[in-house]
Amino acid sequence: MATTNPRAALDVSRRNFLRLFAAASGASLVSRDPRAALAAEPKRGGTLRVGFYIEAATMDPHLSGSKIDRQVYHNIYEPLVTLDVKLGIKPGLAESWQQPDSKTVVFKLRRGVKFHDGTDFNAEAARFNFNRMKTEPKSVRKGEVASIDSVDVVDAYTIKINLKRPDAALLATLTDRAGMMVSPKVAQEKGSELERNAKGAGTGPFEFVEWVKDSHLVIKRNDNYWNKQGGPYLDRVRYRPIPDDTVKLQSLQTGEIDVMDYVQPRDVAAVKADRKVVVVDVPSLADFAYQLNHTRPPFATKALRQAVAYSLDLEQIVKGVWLNVGVPANGPIPPTSWAYDRGIPPIKRDLAKVKAKLAEGGQPSGFTFTMTTNNIPINVQEAEVIQAQLREAGITMKIKLVDSATLISDGNNKNFEMISYQWSGRPDPDGNTYQFYKTTPGTSLNWSGISNPQIDALLDKSREVSSQAERKKLFSELTKILQDELPMVFIVHPIEPKAFSPKVQGYEPIPDGMMRFKDVWLA
Amino acid sequence: MGRLVLRRLSATVPVLFLVTAGVFLLLHLTPGDPIDVMMAESVDATVKETLRRELGLDRPIHVQYAAWMGRLLQGDLGRSIRNGEPVIENVSRRLRPSLELAFFAMTISLLVAFPVGIVSAIRRNTAIDRAGATFALFGICMPNFLLALLLIFFFGVTLRWLPISGYTDPLEEPWNGVRSLALPAITLGLALAAVVTRTLRSSLLEALTEDYVRTARAKGLSEWRVIWGHVLKNALIPVVTVLGLQLGTLIGGAVITEYVFALPGVGRLVVDAVFARDYPLVQGVVLLIAVGFIVSNLVVDVLYGWIDPRIRSR
Repeated sequence: MATTNPRAALDVSRRNFLRLFAAASGASLVSRDPRAALAAEPKRGGTLRVGFYIEAATMDPHLSGSKIDRQVYHNIYEPLVTLDVKLGIKPGLAESWQQPDSKTVVFKLRRGVKFHDGTDFNAEAARFNFNRMKTEPKSVRKGEVASIDSVDVVDAYTIKINLKRPDAALLATLTDRAGMMVSPKVAQEKGSELERNAKGAGTGPFEFVEWVKDSHLVIKRNDNYWNKQGGPYLDRVRYRPIPDDTVKLQSLQTGEIDVMDYVQPRDVAAVKADRKVVVVDVPSLADFAYQLNHTRPPFATKALRQAVAYSLDLEQIVKGVWLNVGVPANGPIPPTSWAYDRGIPPIKRDLAKVKAKLAEGGQPSGFTFTMTTNNIPINVQEAEVIQAQLREAGITMKIKLVDSATLISDGNNKNFEMISYQWSGRPDPDGNTYQFYKTTPGTSLNWSGISNPQIDALLDKSREVSSQAERKKLFSELTKILQDELPMVFIVHPIEPKAFSPKVQGYEPIPDGMMRFKDVWLA
Repeated sequence: MGRLVLRRLSATVPVLFLVTAGVFLLLHLTPGDPIDVMMAESVDATVKETLRRELGLDRPIHVQYAAWMGRLLQGDLGRSIRNGEPVIENVSRRLRPSLELAFFAMTISLLVAFPVGIVSAIRRNTAIDRAGATFALFGICMPNFLLALLLIFFFGVTLRWLPISGYTDPLEEPWNGVRSLALPAITLGLALAAVVTRTLRSSLLEALTEDYVRTARAKGLSEWRVIWGHVLKNALIPVVTVLGLQLGTLIGGAVITEYVFALPGVGRLVVDAVFARDYPLVQGVVLLIAVGFIVSNLVVDVLYGWIDPRIRSR
């Protein structure tokens, strides 16, 4: 029987969509089903309307310190190398690369790529970008390119990067802002104007059109895009900030926007039941934990750190607070990473062990400490559950709620006992480990103040060794030591669900959470 | 009248000084640092130090305040730390939606409050009056965010009459602009209407007991003429006071409403600036809000004189 019910048509595309992207669980990677891709022919045209929680801060990738900027960048700029769904490195503006030795990387650049201003992308442009990142006084990329000593132009389409020290994480770093190429002409002519207006600056599938602050940011299709396979299909993408989560969701449900960047765990079940919305579970690189201050009591004592860790029931936290929109963490490396070791279970609750550790730590009848966390609903809920679990184990925890500026200041000044730390994650495990656990005097992200020669040695070695299998072994060993030394208690690797209108097709979720719209089209 | 305005304006100088100094001090005493917030995920301490020095954040607080004041006297509000733009640009971009919202909310509240307040007063202790009282209680008790979400659900999601969020400038696109401001204006307007209704009712009731009312009625004037021609004007003073105070709040304090409806207004700007510890921006907005309060109170004072000539002559 022929049906004229528009729902039926919707259902098909919805099912295809789900088949494409459904992640069976947070731990499994999303895989793309090529049959589904053939199911419908992509259509050109249309404007995709995207709702974000906040607006971008700057259009200059070398000066950007905010995650939301990257969502726009990944459509107008391109990095030298990019990530695939399994966090493998694939060619971007660089066609291929070689490492003749551990301190040299040679990139062969793609020919025939033009910036949106019409100038050529070539080795000189690449060198200009690296120099800008290293020398521009306000550059936020300095830390990321710190291992780079110099960049040589070998020929018009080859650059040689000379490193100060081996850096196995460099390629992964270059998949994001540190690898993004800005037109030297635009950067020089525009100067600080580039922060507000990126016209002509990128090479990506979309070109910057306009940014009306507090209102919207628009990009349009780059019809001269070098990669003739697939998209870009969309005429335009229009980004809009909608700070309230509930309102953003309703805007999607009523068709005012087509995409939203993040669905709160509390909304996921309801949204998945809504036939007008398609939810894609994007496993993230994030690592949500609590840093324990090693430099002062009570957590200067290892046994007391362990007592806290053995008191926690992560399954319960992930189920009750995160509503299973995440998985219990065994350490800093997320299940999306090649370095994740399935063989290491998360720390299990064991009240008998807690008792023994409390006695060992000289506090047989329990102790009292304060947790500092962000005053946002899900953090407060998590803190309350942890408080209850610790109480059952005979440990009293007070909760101090602060805004994020205070949290950062308390962390940097080591003015805490236990403090929430929610790291958005990096594609290479180095970005989730080194800066947190390496001995660093002074202010750093090593808020816990951990200083352990064994950990230091492992971290340094993981940068020198280039074989992935060998690095994986090092990170497994590191994870085991971290579970014992506990600079942090690890809680959850959250999933970052994104929601779409059913007419949005062709979105490929990469665990870095960035929404690349090159192959996206509107049915 | 000119003297009144002049006297009032000169009194604003110490007020503005105290407000800005107080906010400056409070903000710097609050833990947190703008550069740390801006570069929360960066480990590079030298970049942070360079920026701090460049922005003068490494200097003692009184020096920073003096520098800010010095620039202010030359008409320069400085630049936002977070986005590097002049504070004046940030603020003026946000002022328009706030003023428009305040205007619409005020209009709605007056359109609701005057009929309801007058009828309640005339038909005191009847079912109509009690209905008016119930409405007012509802308007006062209902939290903004809840009313906003209910309105969104009803008019945006269920009926689909109005957009759920976002802002279109009514001066550029009148129809879409008014639609985009309708729900937030109703949210703010109803709460305000409730307060105004009650104030108007009680001050009308008081005026209705005056001798001139009896005289007017004895002359045979219709009840309508009595209210409109005699009582209302005499009952307006407290209402104008309330409206004047609320106007300042509407411009700077509609944070929750702006947040829920994704309106780029002044309230959200100042809250975001506080969270980012964007000192110059907070200072600039607070200064603006303080000026807003002062001006609206000044307008109220001038209106007093217009409504009641006895005040003018004093």
